[in-house]
Amino acid sequence: MMKKLLLIFISLLPFLAKSQGFQVNLFGEKQIGMGHTGTGLAMDGAAVVFNPGAVAMLPENYIQGGISPLVFQSDFNPSGTNTQYHTLDKKAYPFSFYGAFGPKKGIWKLGFGVYTPFGGLADWGQTWQGRYVLESLNLKAIYFQPTLSVKLSENLSIGAGFVYNHGSVDLTKAIPLSYANGQDGQAELTGSGKGYGWNAGIYYKSADFTAGFSHRSQVTTTISGGNAIFTVPASLQPNFPQPNTFSATIPLPAVNSIGIGLYPTKKWILAFDINYTSWSVYKNLEFDYSKTTSILTNTVSPRNYKDAYTFRAGAQYKANNQVDLRFGTGYGTTAVADGYVTPEAPDANRVYLTGGLGIKFTKQLDLDLVFEYEHLMSRTQTNIESQLSGTFETNVFIPGVSLAYHW
Amino acid sequence: MTFIKKHIYIPAALILFSACKPDIKTPALTKGSADFSRYISIGNSLTAGYADGGLYLAGQQVSYPSIIANQMKSVGGGTFTQPLFDAAQANGSGYLTLAGLTKTGLPITANVTSNLAIRDSIVFFGHKTILYTKYTGGDINNFGVPGIKLNDLNNPYYGNLNGFFERLLPGNAPANTATSYLQFITAKPFTFFSNWLGNNDALGYATSGGAGDLLTDTLVFKSYYQQLITALTSNKAKGVVATVPDVTSIPYFNTVTTGAVLVGVQQALPQANIKALYINALSSPSASGYYSARPATSKDLLILTFNTGLLGQPVAAAGGLPYGLTPYTPIDNQYVLDQNEVILTQTYVNSFNNTIKSVAASNGLAVFDAYTFLNNIKANGLLEDGVSLNSNYISGGIFSLDGVHLTPRGYAIVANEFIKAINSKYGSNIPLTNITNYTGVKFP
Repeated sequence: MMKKLLLIFISLLPFLAKSQGFQVNLFGEKQIGMGHTGTGLAMDGAAVVFNPGAVAMLPENYIQGGISPLVFQSDFNPSGTNTQYHTLDKKAYPFSFYGAFGPKKGIWKLGFGVYTPFGGLADWGQTWQGRYVLESLNLKAIYFQPTLSVKLSENLSIGAGFVYNHGSVDLTKAIPLSYANGQDGQAELTGSGKGYGWNAGIYYKSADFTAGFSHRSQVTTTISGGNAIFTVPASLQPNFPQPNTFSATIPLPAVNSIGIGLYPTKKWILAFDINYTSWSVYKNLEFDYSKTTSILTNTVSPRNYKDAYTFRAGAQYKANNQVDLRFGTGYGTTAVADGYVTPEAPDANRVYLTGGLGIKFTKQLDLDLVFEYEHLMSRTQTNIESQLSGTFETNVFIPGVSLAYHW
Repeated sequence: MTFIKKHIYIPAALILFSACKPDIKTPALTKGSADFSRYISIGNSLTAGYADGGLYLAGQQVSYPSIIANQMKSVGGGTFTQPLFDAAQANGSGYLTLAGLTKTGLPITANVTSNLAIRDSIVFFGHKTILYTKYTGGDINNFGVPGIKLNDLNNPYYGNLNGFFERLLPGNAPANTATSYLQFITAKPFTFFSNWLGNNDALGYATSGGAGDLLTDTLVFKSYYQQLITALTSNKAKGVVATVPDVTSIPYFNTVTTGAVLVGVQQALPQANIKALYINALSSPSASGYYSARPATSKDLLILTFNTGLLGQPVAAAGGLPYGLTPYTPIDNQYVLDQNEVILTQTYVNSFNNTIKSVAASNGLAVFDAYTFLNNIKANGLLEDGVSLNSNYISGGIFSLDGVHLTPRGYAIVANEFIKAINSKYGSNIPLTNITNYTGVKFP
C-alpha cells in the first residue's frame, strides 16, 4: 500500500510546476527522516513546531535536542561561458530543542521550542563573477516558542504558542570601485534584530488515522543599528561615511501545513504533509542607512517572491523493538519568480530524499540519525536588478543527530 | 535487519549523492566554421590597448584583441603575441593617473613620466615624431597602432610619421621604412582577423575641434576599406570588423559642457553680467564652410582638456577684451567641436559605417556595431554582473582618464561584443570573458 501511495504522490509532481527561499525546515530528526512530515503525527517534542495541537496527545513528557550540520553547495555557470563557480564549503548548524511536559493522562501539556526555521548561508568568495551582487550571506533566525496544548476530547486536541525571533544577518559584497592595485572596494552589513509571531494547530486522532493542521504566523523581523562598513579607496571614502549604521525589515512568511498519518500495520507509519508558505509578502529587500550621500543611497531591491508549496511523504518502519527505519521524500516549488533569482538564495524547484535510523537505547532514551539530500533544479536566469546572467544549480547535504529523553 | 539487506540501495544512494558537487552541463565550446589558429588584430590605439592618454604595458596586457585571443584558446586559438613594452620601460609613452579628487569631486590627474620607452624624436617634413624603443620580440599578432587612420594604409613612409608604427619596423626612421601598414600586416599568413580601423579618420578631426586634422574623404575611405578587406580575405581568412563609434558618444566631448562652464564664469565674475560664451564656429555643416564667432549653445561640445582658466583673460591682440566672452575674442576653434562640426563629423562617420557594413556583408564577415553599442551605453548605460556602467568621465567605469580610450573593463566589454559577433556569424562558441576580472578607473 505504501508503495502505491508513494507512486501516486510522485507522479503528481511534474504537474505542479511551481519553494522555499530561506526556509530551513529542519525541525526534528525523526520527522526529517520521514521526509519532513509531522503535521498529522504526534511523534515527539518536535510537535511543538510541527503542530502545537498534537503536543497534548503525546503519550509521554519529552525533552530533546538535535543538530543538523548542513552543507549548501551551489554552482553558477555564467551565460556564454564554460566557467563554473562553486560556493565555498561552509557549514551551517541549524538546531532544535524541545520540551513538552504535563501531568500523566492529563488533558494538557506545556511545550517549549527553540528552532531555526529560516536562514541562509551562501559564501561565493571574493573573486567570483557575481561578487558585486553578493560575496557571502549568513542569515539566521532563531525562534523561541512557549506553547500550551489542550485535549478537547480523546480524539481532538488544540494548541498555540507565542514566537519570539532573534534574527541576525551578515552580508558582504564587493563594490566596483578599484584601488590603485586593482582591488575592489568592500561592503559589509552586519546586525541583529527581533520579531514576534505565534503559531497554532489542531490535531485529530481516530483508530485508523491521525490528521492535523497548523499555522505559523508571519514574523516581521527588524534589524536596526546594524553596522554598515564600507571600505573604498581613500579619495572616495567621503562618499561612504564611516562609521555608519543600517536598518532593514524582513518579513519571514506565514506557513500553513496540513498533514495526515496512516498506520496500515503495527510496524508501519505513513505520513503526508502539504505546506503553503506565504512568501509573497517578501516584496523588497530594503536597506536604510543612517548617513547617506549622493553615492551611498538607501536601496530598495525588488524580490517579489511568490507563495510556495511543498509536498511531503514519509514512512517509519519498526524493524524491531530497538530500531526504527525511516525514509521520505518531497518536492517544493520555488518562491522566487523568474528574473529575481539571486546568489543569496539561488532558489528553484527542489526535490529531496531522506533516510533515518532511530535507536532506542533504553525505554526513555532515543538516538535518531538522519541524512538528507536535497537538489535544487538547474535554473538559467538573468536577474533583472543586476543583469547577472547564468545557470544556478544547488545540492544540499544534511546529516543530523538528536537525542530525546522521554518519561 | 532483512529490510536493510533488501534495501541496501537506500543508504548506498545517499552516500553516493553526498560525494557529488553540483556540476552544470555547459554548452560545448566549438570553433564553428572559423579557424582561430592564427588570429591577428588590425586597428588603431583602441586595438593596441591605449588608455589614459598613453600606451603602456599594463594597458597592452588588457587590449581587447589579447582578451579575445585568450578566449579563443579553448576553441583552437594559437599563441597571441603583442609588441609589449619591456618591464623596465613598462610605462611606454607615459600616461595619466588619478592623483586625487577635489572637494567638489573634480579629478586631479598626474603624468607618469618614469620608466618610459622613448628613445628619440625626429622631425619629418615638419612633423615631429617621437620614437620609442624598438620591439624586438619577433612576429606579432596585435597590429594595433595608436593614431593610425585607414587613410594611412598605403603610405610607405608612415613609419616616419608615427613612432608607434616605427617601433614595430626593423629599421630606424627616417631612413628605414618603405613599408606600408598594409604590407606590414599581410606579410605573414593568418587564419582569422579582426579589423577596427577608421575611428581616427573622423576622431582626429573631432578631437582637434575641427582645427588640427582633416576628415578622410568618404570615397577614399571606401576604396581603402575595400582594398584592406580584399587583402585580408585573399587567403580565405575569416574575420570580424567593427564600425566607427559616434565621436560624440565619448566623454571627451560630453564632460566640460558649455552650460556648466558659463555658470562657472558667471559665478566667478558676478559683476560682469556675462550672458554667453563665444566660440569660433563653422558656418555650415560642410567642408566648404567658414569660421566666425557666435554665442555657444548646448550643442557645441567643449573638449575635455579645455583649460577653463583661459576664460576672461585679457586678449592683448583684441584690446584686452576678455577671452571667450565677447564676439571679438571667441574660444579658439581647437577647443570646441561646434554644432556644425558635429553634424559634419557624423555625416562622415555614417558614410564610413555604411562602407564598413556593406564591405563586411559582401565578404561574409562578422560585424561588431560599435557605433550602436556605444550610443546605447551613452543613452541607457550598461548593467552587467551587478556593475552599473555608463559613458560618464571617470565615474562611468568604461572610459579611461583621457575620455576617449577605454578602461580594462571597457576593453573586456568590447572583447565580449566582438566574441558575440564572431559566434553568431560563424556558429562558433567562444566563451565570453568575465568583465569583473578587469578594473575600471583606479582611485588613489
